[in-house]
Amino acid sequence: VQRPEWAPEGIDLTRPSVARAYDYWLGGSHNFAVDREFARKIIEMMPDVRLMARANRAFLHRAVWFMLGSGIRQFLDIGSGIPTVGNVHEIGQEADPEARVVYVDIDPIAVAHSEQILVGNDRATVIEEDLRHPEAILGHPRTRALLDIQQPIGLLLVSVLHAIPDSDDPVGLVRRLCAALQPGSYVAISHVTADSRPAEMSQAQQLSRQTTTPGTVRSKGQVEQFFSGLELVEPGVVWSPQWRPESPDDVGEHPERMGFYVGVGRKA
Amino acid sequence: VTGQPGSGTADQLSDFARTWAGTLRRASLAPMRAARSERTVTYLAQRLVAALSAEPFDASAGYRIGTELVDNGFASPESLGRTITLINSRLTTDLRLPADGETTGRLSALVESLAEGFAAAVHDRSLDAQDEVRVAALTAQARAERDLRETQARLQYLATHDPLTGLPNRVLLIEQVSAALRAAPAGRVGLVCLDLDRFATINTSLGHRVGDRLLLAVANRLRGLATACGLQVARLDRDEFVLLMTGTSGAEDVIKVADRALCRLAEPFHIDGLELPVTASAGLVEQPVAAGDGPELLRAALTALHWAQARGTGHWRLFERERSTADIQRYRLSAAMPGALRRGEFTLAYQPLVDLADRRLVGVEALARWHHPEHGMLTADRFIGLAAATGLLGTLDRHLLRLACEQGARWQRWPDAPYVSVNLAAPRLHDPGLVGDIAQTLDQSGLDPRRLQLEITEHDTIGTDRDTVATLEALAGLGVRIAIDDFGTGYANLACLHALPLHELKLAASFAQHPPDRPAAATDAFLAGVVSLGHTLGLTVLAEGIETEAQARRLHAAGCHSGQGWHFGLPAPAEDITPLVRAGTP
Repeated sequence: VQRPEWAPEGIDLTRPSVARAYDYWLGGSHNFAVDREFARKIIEMMPDVRLMARANRAFLHRAVWFMLGSGIRQFLDIGSGIPTVGNVHEIGQEADPEARVVYVDIDPIAVAHSEQILVGNDRATVIEEDLRHPEAILGHPRTRALLDIQQPIGLLLVSVLHAIPDSDDPVGLVRRLCAALQPGSYVAISHVTADSRPAEMSQAQQLSRQTTTPGTVRSKGQVEQFFSGLELVEPGVVWSPQWRPESPDDVGEHPERMGFYVGVGRKA
Repeated sequence: VTGQPGSGTADQLSDFARTWAGTLRRASLAPMRAARSERTVTYLAQRLVAALSAEPFDASAGYRIGTELVDNGFASPESLGRTITLINSRLTTDLRLPADGETTGRLSALVESLAEGFAAAVHDRSLDAQDEVRVAALTAQARAERDLRETQARLQYLATHDPLTGLPNRVLLIEQVSAALRAAPAGRVGLVCLDLDRFATINTSLGHRVGDRLLLAVANRLRGLATACGLQVARLDRDEFVLLMTGTSGAEDVIKVADRALCRLAEPFHIDGLELPVTASAGLVEQPVAAGDGPELLRAALTALHWAQARGTGHWRLFERERSTADIQRYRLSAAMPGALRRGEFTLAYQPLVDLADRRLVGVEALARWHHPEHGMLTADRFIGLAAATGLLGTLDRHLLRLACEQGARWQRWPDAPYVSVNLAAPRLHDPGLVGDIAQTLDQSGLDPRRLQLEITEHDTIGTDRDTVATLEALAGLGVRIAIDDFGTGYANLACLHALPLHELKLAASFAQHPPDRPAAATDAFLAGVVSLGHTLGLTVLAEGIETEAQARRLHAAGCHSGQGWHFGLPAPAEDITPLVRAGTP
């Protein structure tokens, strides 16, 4: 029997969540033993996974700063996960108290947690939705209440598209999201790859199968496809530390070891 | 510039702070903008240096600096390690502080305190975070459970309500009957089952949208009535609605409700600017309930509804158990007929037809019998009507005709073999394949057509249409005898009788009896008149229902050629008749 679409999912606390493992790698304590067990297995394989997580997080911040600098004042952060220090609304509202942020996540715990953090903040909200339903995200009453879709928006797809298998047509999902955006909108994407460290990455991918969101690694060419129809902002799709670093020292000697391709596109 | 011991210049301090900030930023797991981290760290460095030379000295300043490092996001293990190294290796030299024992002692006390403050803050932060994520998990869990309950409630609602009108459906209605029973174990309940007359016509001629809106309007009227009378209302299928009444005291209660409901529904409906006159029929049941009676009660109401509908539109009928039992038995019999045909449960019994002058066997009437495995031998009156109603009549008739012809052919080898007289059910006369069927059966069995007689009931033939006359003529053309059965029980269209290709009149059994309240002479004269009518038409006349020798004589005296009845023999299996055929006499 097929579950009706409106029937609720249960909360499964026996399976690790990549979002909470990511929080652990970033030094956070918003995680459970099952998450830490998974996170430590990855650390055993790739001791620098914490640096990879940090570099990815740092890209998110730089991308948001870049968009703020380009006049963007409203953000749609899909796959926002467990809120950690330096969330998009904190960065955005530090720059402009009127900046608005809608967080979207599929994980009910991440959503509940985000709600706690956002209590009293009427310019940031969170909705429980799936990236596979772009129209539901854009049409959600809370999205519509907070974001003016007639104005440019900063769409953040950071560390989320690798949770969408090819069978769910991730390129098509990005295209559908972008179709709803006004010219002048920006899209930031970061994505796991096995182009460098293929052995470790494919092992990590195997391990991710036990989590609630198994991952798919993609090549640089495949990541670039997500930007088709958009103007790629300089320097294009690059390793995470290479995208507009604050200082050349931040890049490090082996940016390719950070395992993420990142890029920002602009809707013309 | 020579700095005072314990107080470096602003430049020296900011150099140190910049180095510290850079180190922390790289060691931190949560990214932070360079400018912001420098601002924060410069402030902390200023307080550290101030604490070093403060009088009186207070090491707890270091504790607060450690705490604030964590609060500002520098919470990674590396942040502490590198901070300690940096302070120990660079602070005194960068700020040109005296390397005396006092300063060294103060510095190590401050670092110790800073490490304690850092660790305590990290610990608190972890505990807080653990609380937060647990609360989030609990919230999510509670929400999922609430959603599940809502889903279940919604599924439950969908399973128990009609989506169009929102009224309870059959499932909930039966549950309500059970609930009524639980509330009053010895109580009575009543159901009024309503069905709109000719609703299908509204759907087909005005469209389903109008049909649906009419159903909604009907539901609303019934809802209003239910509220006013303290009833419950449900929708079963399409245009079937049910009113449930609990705590009734007799049939009058439901009859009153049915009257009111039919009146309410008879007021015209206005849908889409159309005035729709509607009538409804109702089936009623009112009785004490027992556990599990819900479905039974509903079936009773629906049965009564079918009785009401059979009478026309706008009627109600109250359920009666006896009538229903007879209905059910008839239905079971008719449902068993196809299987019985396949299993050969239908056979024939034969009753002698005897010449009244010499008492020789001239013919036999073949009578249908059903050897029912449960009910035993059933006579034709129990099942011929059912066969006609279920469309099995043709099949059954062909089967029986074949049996009769085959048996007749077996008797043919004796001289003066009897003809076999077979009843032909009235609807078969309109079957265009009838003549072909009979010709084929005669052919296959080898029976001489003159030894087959078909009996047709008087009111089925007389005054009939041209097709029937043609059919009879075709049958007569085959050489088959045709008899009018039960003559005298209908009102014969005598004008037509002479035009039909007939061979025999079978006088109904009532002619054999002597009505006790009438003079014998008058009866005999009447009988003679009827018989002579047969003679006038050139037909032989057979008297049915002869039970005594006296009757046999009387009917012979009246001019009847032959007779049939208990006096000459009961219907019997073929093997019991064969000796009579051989002997030529019963």
